[in-house]
Amino acid sequence: MPIKILVAVKRVVDTNVKVRVKPDGSGVDLANVKMSMNPFCEIAVEEALRLREAGKASEVVVVSIGPAQAAETIRTGLAMGADRGVHVKAEGRIEPLAVAKLLKAVIDREAPGLVILGKQAIDDDLNQTGQMLAALLDWPQGTFASKVALGDADVDVTREVDGGLETVRLGLPAVVTTDLRLNEPRYASLPNIMKAKKKPIEEIDAQTLGIDLAPRHTVLKTAEPAARKGGVTLGSPAELVGKLKETGVLA
Amino acid sequence: MVRNPPSAALVERFASIVGAANALTEPAAIEPYTLEHRGRYGGRTGLVLRPGSVAEVSAILATASETMTAIVPQSGNTGLVGGQVPDDSGSEVVLALDRMRTIRAVDAAGFTLTAEAGVILADIHAAAEAVDRLFPLSLGSEGSCRVGGNVSTNAGGTAVLSYGSMRDLVLGLEVVLADGRVWNGLSGLRKDNTGYDLKQLFIGGEGTLGVVTAATLKLFPRPKGLAVALVGVPSPEAALALFGAARERARQDLTGYELMPRIALDFVFRHIPGTRDPLASLHPWYVLVEVSSGRNQEDADATLEGLLGEGYEAGHVLDAAIARSLAEGHALWRIRHAISEAQKPEGGSIKHDVSVPVADVPAFLAEATAAVLALIPDARPVPFGHLGDGNIHFNISQPVGGDREAFLARWAQVNETVHAIVGRYRGSIAAEHGIGRAKRDLLPGVEGDVAMAMMRGIKAALDPKGVLNPGRVL
Repeated sequence: MPIKILVAVKRVVDTNVKVRVKPDGSGVDLANVKMSMNPFCEIAVEEALRLREAGKASEVVVVSIGPAQAAETIRTGLAMGADRGVHVKAEGRIEPLAVAKLLKAVIDREAPGLVILGKQAIDDDLNQTGQMLAALLDWPQGTFASKVALGDADVDVTREVDGGLETVRLGLPAVVTTDLRLNEPRYASLPNIMKAKKKPIEEIDAQTLGIDLAPRHTVLKTAEPAARKGGVTLGSPAELVGKLKETGVLA
Repeated sequence: MVRNPPSAALVERFASIVGAANALTEPAAIEPYTLEHRGRYGGRTGLVLRPGSVAEVSAILATASETMTAIVPQSGNTGLVGGQVPDDSGSEVVLALDRMRTIRAVDAAGFTLTAEAGVILADIHAAAEAVDRLFPLSLGSEGSCRVGGNVSTNAGGTAVLSYGSMRDLVLGLEVVLADGRVWNGLSGLRKDNTGYDLKQLFIGGEGTLGVVTAATLKLFPRPKGLAVALVGVPSPEAALALFGAARERARQDLTGYELMPRIALDFVFRHIPGTRDPLASLHPWYVLVEVSSGRNQEDADATLEGLLGEGYEAGHVLDAAIARSLAEGHALWRIRHAISEAQKPEGGSIKHDVSVPVADVPAFLAEATAAVLALIPDARPVPFGHLGDGNIHFNISQPVGGDREAFLARWAQVNETVHAIVGRYRGSIAAEHGIGRAKRDLLPGVEGDVAMAMMRGIKAALDPKGVLNPGRVL
């Protein structure tokens, strides 16, 4: 029987934006900066849509946690083709543990057969939420998926590990996190964007879920990477060898 | 005029101006300066001079005038009409401006930037962006073309629709005249009616009237939001109708409107790695639409979605893929910018860079396509370009499996046919690429005696000895 798939998505600074650190070093300046759906989350939405189109899922629900603008990211998921959205409204910095707890609260109500998340968000690169969520739910997890094959009672997840590829079979319900090569997400088409405007987004105030959202970490400092020094054009291989010796690369 | 290659003594004299290291005489070092990238125009020279300062350019031109040596100015060598490469005589000396790449000033408060002729366009973009400003000129070759050439060819590109061509973006110029005198016309003034507007002669002058060594350019506020879509449309007529509606809704914020036929996309997806069709089904024509916003991203998205939604209801839009991220926006633009490149593996291509009144574009396309197919029934027209400017690159790829040389041998005949239709629409046979060598012989036929006499008079006044880019334009 086709299952319900829940996909968690995050609104992040666009990958192609050159970010600037705030003068006081407290974080990255996000004023007037292009925001987009986290690319790994796009891959998660795409995978869920493909499973639905293959007849293996009946419904795709997109969940995001964040301020009012997070609704735009949900709307993006709906424009790709997801069926409905859940917006957990929360302000400020929400760390992965709190995100996982909030997602668990939504999952307890929605009872999906499969949860798909991006393996990490490109803003903080933490790579924790999927794992924490699986632990809180006490569900099996398949992380860094490069292939997902959904059966009736289980899912085979091919994972990109150091030595190559590893395939694990998880009993449903399960948590899967996506890696870059899982799929190439579709563009949002105009008819789907227009349809998406009419799809429902349920709003839940995070405060009503009885979860402690306070950050456990303190950001001490944010700094830009050191500027790269310009290269030089050398005239000959001999000159190259000389330079390499000079800099101690060659003995 | 028959000229001989410069003598050894003259080469020595030129070399002493720029220093031996910057006077190239070895064939391997010279080669990149003698061939344009399409491979249509290439010639010979025994000397490439790479001056590092205005004083050196001045000394070179003074010497050239004195010795009657022909000089071919070159900046990024991306021109498409043979204006920047030497001819086959071996007598022309290339004056390469690629070492003059200092950005002399960036004035964020005054919205101007002053750059030397050898600065690469993409570096101008970056310098403007660093102070939260925009330099809008946008070309497929922006990673290698240089300011001097942008000025001298009055470069156009995809942002002309909203910001104008290079002529609209230049506030002042520094030019070295044929006899070596330096005109310092660098000015950031927005209003200046003191006498004739001399800089206009050198913008689009194709290096025949003087050598541009620096330019003061206009900067603009950087858009706070940018929305891009690839739109499937049923016909050029529908594309034109959508253009009108888009312009009304977005006004100056409609910053891109490019028309492409399906065959162009087929070529791109077939030959350009990393590209794919963003839409689920096939459409006969496409437009790439870009909307900017001075307010924010949501505003740009809303404007674009609004005008496309309206077009969808009206039947002008069949489907559209809207970029969600900057990466997707770049990918959509890449399809458009890759068309020329993607035509190369399809064999020979006969090119036209023409413009007609915007409202006549659909009729022109139908008429020119029919005329070309009457001449060469299996030819594959790939007309694409800046619909909003009425500027179409009416390129024709050779028949599948046909003989490349036999097809290209009909270049002049096809040109004549297409240009005759352009003429009936009172269009231009050189919309944005210029005249150079490619269209020099066509110029008198389209410009008339009065215009030709004025052009020759200006040339004689500024370059009486005819040493600057001889045989180009006139």
